Parts: sequence; C-alpha cells; structure tokens
Amino acid sequence: MSGKEKESGKEQTLKEIFAQLDEVIEGMEQEDVSLEETFELYHKGMDMLKLCNDKIDKVEKKMLLLDDEGEEHEFET
Amino acid sequence: MARNVYSVKQVNAYIKNMFAQDYMLNCIYVKGEVSNLKYHTSGHIYFSLKDESGTIACVMFAGQRGGLSFRMCAGQQVIVLGSVAVYERNGAYQLYAREIRLDGEGVLYERFQKLKQELEDMGMFAPEYKKPVPAFAGRVGIVTAPTGAAVRDIMNIARRRNPYVQLVLYPAQVQGEGAKESIVRGIRLLDRAGVDVIIAGRGGGSIEDLWAFNEEEVARAIFDCETPVISAVGHETDTTIADFVADLRAPTPSAAAELAVYEYGKLAQAIREYQVHMSRMVLQKLELNRMRLMSYETKLKYLHPQNLLRDYRQRAAECEDDLRLLMEGALGEAKHRLSLYVEIMKGLSPLKKLNQGYSYVKAGDGGALKSIRQTKPGDELLVYVTDGVISAAVTDKKEEQRL
Repeated sequence: MSGKEKESGKEQTLKEIFAQLDEVIEGMEQEDVSLEETFELYHKGMDMLKLCNDKIDKVEKKMLLLDDEGEEHEFET
Repeated sequence: MARNVYSVKQVNAYIKNMFAQDYMLNCIYVKGEVSNLKYHTSGHIYFSLKDESGTIACVMFAGQRGGLSFRMCAGQQVIVLGSVAVYERNGAYQLYAREIRLDGEGVLYERFQKLKQELEDMGMFAPEYKKPVPAFAGRVGIVTAPTGAAVRDIMNIARRRNPYVQLVLYPAQVQGEGAKESIVRGIRLLDRAGVDVIIAGRGGGSIEDLWAFNEEEVARAIFDCETPVISAVGHETDTTIADFVADLRAPTPSAAAELAVYEYGKLAQAIREYQVHMSRMVLQKLELNRMRLMSYETKLKYLHPQNLLRDYRQRAAECEDDLRLLMEGALGEAKHRLSLYVEIMKGLSPLKKLNQGYSYVKAGDGGALKSIRQTKPGDELLVYVTDGVISAAVTDKKEEQRL
C-alpha cells in the first residue's frame, strides 16, 4: 500500500503541526518577546497553517472494499 | 335424568387421548427452572420445571438419557423438549422429556464470564495496552457486514463529518458459522492495508447474533492489531469481550464513526481561529510597541538639553533678581542714611545762623575772625551774609570783657 506511509505520516504531521502551532501562539503571548520575534513566529505559524490546509486533500472519497487478497475495490451500495 | 355415568378409567383415557391428539403437546419446548430433581436408580430422572406462575412435573426415562449432555442440577434454567401426556394412574399430566439443554442465554453468559475473566487475568484489557485513537485519521478501516444498518450508519456519519476521509470496508460475516474467522481476517487484512484506525462491529441483535464478538479469536485479533481498534457492537447496552479488549469502545456503530472520523468543519474552523489569534497577537504586539515608543519619546523630550538649558536660564534669572533686590536694598539703606546725615549737617550749618542776622567774618588772610587780636585797623575783612559777601575795612578795635 503506497498510502500507508503517506497517510500515517499525514496523521502525525497534522497533530504535530497543531502542537507546534500552540507553541507558536504561546511564544507570541510571552511579554518579553520582541516585535521581530513576533513577526517571525507569525510567519512560522502562517506557514504551518498553510501546511495544515495542504495536508488535507480535499477530494471526496468513495468507500473502498477490501477483499481477502488485501486488494481494494470500489464499493457499490 | 338421562345422564351417562363414566368410569375413572374412561375419563382418564378420554383425556389422555385428547392430549395425544394435540399436535402441539406432542412436540413442545418448555423452559423453566429445575426443581424437585431426583435421579432414580432405574436411570429415570424425575423433576419439575417451575417459573413464577407454577410448576409442571417432568420425567426423563432412562432410554432418553442421550438427550441430556450435562449433569442437571436444581436451580438451573433449562429448555426441555418433549411431549405432555396424561399419567393415568394418578390422573395427572406431565412432561415426558426427550432432550434437555441449558437455557441458551444462561450458557452463553457463563461462557462470556469465563472468557472475560481469563482474558482479564492475562492483562488483555489493561489500559497500558490501549493505543490512542488518532485525532485526524485519513483512512478508516471497517469490519462489518456489507449490508445492514451498521455500515450505512457509519457511511452516513463519516460523509457528514468529513467526506475527505477514505473508508475501507472489509465485508465480514458477523454472525453464524464462520463469523469469528471472517472478523479476524478482516481485522488482520485492514491492519496490513494501512489504515489509521479500524472500526469492528455490527448492528444490534440477540446475544447469539452478537456472539462472534465474544470469541477469544476475535479478542486476540483485536489485541494483536497494530492499528487502534474501536469496537462498535450492537446497542449501548450490549457489552462484548471485543469491547473490553478494543482500544476504544463505542456504544454503537454510529458512535464509532463519530469517534474515528474527525469533523472537517471543526478542523477548518480551528485553522481559522489560529489565523485570527495570531493576527491579533501581532497587532497587539505592534500596539504595545507603539505605546512603548511613545513613552520613550515623552521621556526623551523631558531629558532634552534644551529643557536643562531652560532650567539653568530660569535659575540664572532668579539669581539676577535676587542680586538686584539685594543691591537695591543696600542702596536704599545708604540713601536713607545719607539723607539723615544731610539733615544733621543742615542743623549744624552756620549758614542757617546767617539767616537770623548773624554773619561770618573772615580776616584778610583767610581764617575765621574770632578775636580782636587777629586784626588791626586798616585791615580788610570779608563779611559773609546769606546772600553774599561784603568787603569791609577795620576802622577801630576795642576789647570788651565777655561773660
């Protein structure tokens, strides 16, 4: 399955991105952070959000059927 | 009175015949609790079946013992197959048992409890083995029947929550012969097919219908599965071994779909919220810095040398004023004293006396004439009066004695 690495990788990344985003926000909320650092964090955050969006492929999926050989087929309801 | 009178035998025989001709009574399943149990030495078993309403006498003859595969005990719930017939000798009917088995639910419940205990003792339900269900699964595997409510519910809910998630169904046989093997195969195949989470379950049914999910093989397949498994068997109230061993138990297949498929709308919203939050943070930071700048500006203005200079200038002006005041004071004082002296001097001035008819006489050689001895006739004298000087000549001098 070529999808395996890609998909499981995606799951991790999405979750990781959100964790990193939280860190970025936390960093921005620090009082002693400079304006330059704030801008830097902002750009980093925006890049991550873009990554987030890119991670989700927005193609509607039809259910697949797995046969006993492990092959996937279209599922007709 | 043209009444017929019958013998006991006739009546009993009549009733027996009625029972014998009744189709239902000849082959009937009766369920109840075993009581008054007696294993007779002859091999016959006598007992009663009772429920909350009453009892029925039963007998299983030695010849029918093949229909009993366990040791019957009082208190057991059993189902007896047999016929109801009349025993003429005491005019009573009883159930002639051909087959006795433990009531299905009772048996299954016992098996369920036993397996649950075994697996629990082995630690298969331990929380440390539970794998977390991914928050953002991209591919969701499903082991259930390809037709029926369960798969439809899962599909509908998944599509509603997130149509971008790929569902992969292993069409399993979930009840009857071969069900557990089919479910186990489905779990294993999906585990290898690279899905992020697997839903294993089926819709509601009787305990027998759900039984495959109480099988040890299924439990082990779930336990050994590398992919997190959500169990979703029957209704909320149904609990199976699969539920205990699964990484997460969903009360129903619909609930499992909600647990496995994240809501795309919420994710999109979270992304938007992050965006808004970060923008707000930047603006806030900017505003903060601007305020700081303004405060520095004020401070700097305050500390400008011009300000210092103005201060010094003011102090210099103040000093000048002080000096002037002091000087004026001292001058005034001196003037005052001078005028005082002038007045005193005035009082002492001989000119004043001249006013009153006195005059000041000077000898020709310059000194004030105070005695006759300073002059002789013929000398010139100067007589000073208030408005001028008279030159006079001495004609005579005469000494006089003054008191």
